[in-house]
Amino acid sequence: MQKLGPVTARIAQMRELVRDRVIAVDAERALNITESYRKNLLVPPIIKRATATYDVCSKMTCRVEEFELIVGNLGTSFLGSGVQPENGFAWFYEEFDGGKLWVRDENGVYHRDDMGTKLSITEEEKDKLYSIRDFWKGRTVSDHMDSWYPDGYEEWCAIGASSYFPGMPIGDLPSGHLTAGYPKIIDVGYAAIRKQAEDWVDAHKGNLMGADVERYMFYKSAILACDAATAMIRGYARACHQKAQGCPEAARRAELQKMGDGLVWISEKPARTFWEAVQATVMYQLLLYMDARYPALAFGRFDQYTWPFLKADLEAGRITMDQAHEIVDAFLLKANCFYRAAPPFLNEIVGVGNTYQHTTIGGVDPDTGEDASNPVTYMVLDSMGRLLLHDPTISIRIHRNTPEDLWERAIEMTKLVGGLPLFQNDEVIIPALVERGFELRDARDYSLIGCQEIVGSGNDYPAPNGTLCKATIHYGVILDMALNNGTNPFNGRSGALKTGYLYDMQSFDEVKAAMKAQVEYFLGWLVTMNNYSEHIAMRESPHAALSISIEGCMESGKDCVCGGAKYNSFGGTATGLATVADSLTTIKYMVFDKKLCTARELYDAYMANWEGHEPLRRRILNDVPHFGNNDPYADEQMKWICDVYYNACGRMHSERSRIYKAGLYGAADHVAQGAHTWATPDGRRTGEPLADAASPAQGRDLHGPTSVFNSELCFDHRHFLDGIALNLKIHPTALRGAEGAAKLRDVTKAYFDGGGMEVQYNVVSADDMRAAQKDPAAYHNLVVRIAGYSAYFVELSTRMQNDIISRTENVL
Amino acid sequence: MSSDPAGTIYDIQGFSVQDGPGIRTTVFLKGCPLRCPWCHSPESRRFDIQLSWQSRRCIGTAVCGLCLVSCPRGAIVPAEGSQSTDTEDGLQLIRVDWDTCDDCGLCAAECPAGALSMWGKRYTVSEVVDRALRDRPFFEKSGGGVTISGGEPLSQAEFTLALLRALKENGLHTALDTTGFAPWAVVEKALPHVDLFLLDLKNMDGRAHNAAVGVPNQPILENARGIAAAGGKMQIRIPVIPRFNDSGGNLRALGKFVAELGEAVTLVQLLPYHALGVPKWERIKHDGPILEATAPSDKKIGELKAILEEYSLTIQVH
Ligand code: SF4
Ligand code: SF4
Repeated sequence: MQKLGPVTARIAQMRELVRDRVIAVDAERALNITESYRKNLLVPPIIKRATATYDVCSKMTCRVEEFELIVGNLGTSFLGSGVQPENGFAWFYEEFDGGKLWVRDENGVYHRDDMGTKLSITEEEKDKLYSIRDFWKGRTVSDHMDSWYPDGYEEWCAIGASSYFPGMPIGDLPSGHLTAGYPKIIDVGYAAIRKQAEDWVDAHKGNLMGADVERYMFYKSAILACDAATAMIRGYARACHQKAQGCPEAARRAELQKMGDGLVWISEKPARTFWEAVQATVMYQLLLYMDARYPALAFGRFDQYTWPFLKADLEAGRITMDQAHEIVDAFLLKANCFYRAAPPFLNEIVGVGNTYQHTTIGGVDPDTGEDASNPVTYMVLDSMGRLLLHDPTISIRIHRNTPEDLWERAIEMTKLVGGLPLFQNDEVIIPALVERGFELRDARDYSLIGCQEIVGSGNDYPAPNGTLCKATIHYGVILDMALNNGTNPFNGRSGALKTGYLYDMQSFDEVKAAMKAQVEYFLGWLVTMNNYSEHIAMRESPHAALSISIEGCMESGKDCVCGGAKYNSFGGTATGLATVADSLTTIKYMVFDKKLCTARELYDAYMANWEGHEPLRRRILNDVPHFGNNDPYADEQMKWICDVYYNACGRMHSERSRIYKAGLYGAADHVAQGAHTWATPDGRRTGEPLADAASPAQGRDLHGPTSVFNSELCFDHRHFLDGIALNLKIHPTALRGAEGAAKLRDVTKAYFDGGGMEVQYNVVSADDMRAAQKDPAAYHNLVVRIAGYSAYFVELSTRMQNDIISRTENVL
Repeated sequence: MSSDPAGTIYDIQGFSVQDGPGIRTTVFLKGCPLRCPWCHSPESRRFDIQLSWQSRRCIGTAVCGLCLVSCPRGAIVPAEGSQSTDTEDGLQLIRVDWDTCDDCGLCAAECPAGALSMWGKRYTVSEVVDRALRDRPFFEKSGGGVTISGGEPLSQAEFTLALLRALKENGLHTALDTTGFAPWAVVEKALPHVDLFLLDLKNMDGRAHNAAVGVPNQPILENARGIAAAGGKMQIRIPVIPRFNDSGGNLRALGKFVAELGEAVTLVQLLPYHALGVPKWERIKHDGPILEATAPSDKKIGELKAILEEYSLTIQVH
């Protein structure tokens, strides 16, 4: 086993700061954008937005800390966050007006410390944010969408079975679940992109015919975006140069000077060195964060686009491997600083402490299809391991020629960090992308974003969480409604579709027909609302800063929001289908096949939340076959519901895209959904979590990973191009020594050979976690993973902690 | 031979990673002629299917109580207070009168919570093979296969031999985890179908061996020599039991004996005693004593390992 080298003192210092982070919220960005909008109220949105981005970037505070070699800050503090009033910012005022979440300390600073998300704001910054409250009333992107709705929306959303709930702003998060074109920014530079736009604009001056007006405005917005980038990066260059002047220590002075010079260069031109490539990546990320609150901007194939620079540096003797490794450390720590203020409900769904900057390593070369791993691939794994970071999420792309060394290091990282990296199977994903219309070269260049979603790198507008991050249907609720004549037992709300009562259903086929009808009904509504809000977003919320790097946009003169990208799709996810499958199996087994109870008895029992029916509930838990045990009787229903969902997705499309992707992932959403899902026939009680993503229901898989894998292969993974998350908890004793690591590798290989798309392993023991619940301070480094993301265990809510503990341990 | 003989099995475990090479499926057969007090699976001792009572799973007679009326012999009665310590407060649990119970299984069939359940189930050879074959891709990737364990699998000789043959016919790697206490004639028949023996050796002192586990060590040692002579491969497993076999003298004698087996032995494993058998023992009709002791220290195990290494053996501590 490779011994991980030590980190430098300044990296260690930054690591401490990041671990204990309290994100200081400030009003700088909000005030700057407000001022810009005030001046340009009636300017077309595409220009108004790009102008605002320029104003924000040219006025922002640019910092460089003593210990930094990669710079960039989201707010005015090292660990700060600006906010984005322009999409919808009601949550902040509601939190303060509600008066419960934020607690004022003796220094007049407010703290929000729920669920371990530590935010703070000073009285002064809070007042500034209140000063712009009135300006934004009726002016946010969401206000444009919320002022009118398609008929029937209110009734449908009141059911509470999707991402939509009554009174919510439907457009307060922009799209932006994707991999931006970092390689283009690094390799081409802003000046050349700007010139391309300017050439078009110059050529069409006074001669805008037909659709030219739209293109003209797009290219104008692109110029503004490039200027915004240049202005911001120059700001950082100035900060470095200034800091150099006051620096007493010669080596650091020279370093700061060099950083400043490099920043000046990359503010317009392509990167020349590894450091410049990494810093340019971070600067572009920051530009996007200044542009909008994109929820999940993934770094893409970081090892692929930075390695050529490192290789050249090494060949020229400009850098040592240790120096390069420090840059990778600094990059990953900087990514951890990009943690943005968000309302608590978002934490419930996506999990705490994740910046959603998924980073992909390994995989194959786009041109040759050969293994593409390189020294940066290994550095990323080692840095995550030696810094014990759980963020950003790392996916390692596995293919048939993945080197044994890389396997070993990836599994070593799993043991150290827990849950990371995610193992993704090229052999399943690449052909599936080609089937979906990707050119082979682009398919081979795919990357992962968000929790799990599969996207093209820098050429795709994939909207995998729907266009405005409202992409989930709560399938547990749908099941309850299907068996309760279209009424949600949790709140008594009814949908328009009546599918009868379980106790009137004469056959299992009738049960399935009811479920299928409700799935189609709900998905139809979900996509209707997506398509409605996307229609408004195309006008109100184009993304120039993003479009300059996404292949297709500059070529076509069309913003990526409006369909300018080379590839377009959208999608959503169904988390916890195992709960649905187990419920269907329960009905089949108990009522129709074994006749151990009547449909009425079963219905009455779970409608009473099992109260007074504990023996029946226990019999279901004990006797009924469950998904995840390699039992065809149970797996059949999982395959059925996956197929129903997938086939329903096949009918969905939007103005921008013909392709609606199905996914089986969901971060922590199975907990949040479960909290408002009534009891289900599988023995689950009201409020308990659903199964997690594509995994078997908690504690129901009793025969270890090989059986789970065999069960998972009952459905076709290629159908789920929005991503699959299978979370397997492995007891550390299963992984002892080199032999244990080899067995984990082999079990994964066999799963992937069989058609498995993804797996992630959580190597922790329940005892560790119980101890951590009692003594959080001593277990600060304990990282766990819930499908698609990982977090510090002690930062999770107690309910989520208990959920993790209750998962089956794959004990020997 | 009957075409598809059946055996009594108490567990089939997938992703078994410590019972032979690679990823394995381990089939645990019920019944053992030895009575080791340190046994970590006391539910494997008896050959017949037997009742198990796990208080932690019981939901209480107030809401359930199905078992109370199900027993034809009246062997289940409401427990007196002390029995409920294991579970949440306030539940009225039950008690099994083990002397009256004849393991008919009627109560277990009624119990909805799995609190009363039966250890052991009859499986035919083809059922076991079907189960094992589902994991074939994992075996192939990892160089794994099927391990037949126990209890003492060679005590169900007909079934075990048929199972071994069937597994080999399907091209699977086979390991046999055995106490070695079986007639040589049975071992000899198994030999061609066993890729690897996992053979327990406990104590070279025949009297101490007999006194502790109830059978002599002589047949075991002879079988070990026989396997070596016939070209079989063995991993020797030595449970390290405080005050029974953890003396330097015993380890030296074991080391010498194993070294003499020569190349037949691929690995020697030290299995330090642990108390995980005790909670299982508490759930069943007591059949022989159980040892509850503290596990040997890492230091102690290190010393014993060093002794064995003097005999040029490859040692692994589990
Ligand atoms: S197994 Fe024993 S306790 Fe259970 S019903 Fe039969 S005799 Fe009674
Ligand atoms: S039947 Fe089972 S759960 Fe019910 S009281 Fe008896 S032991 Fe407890």
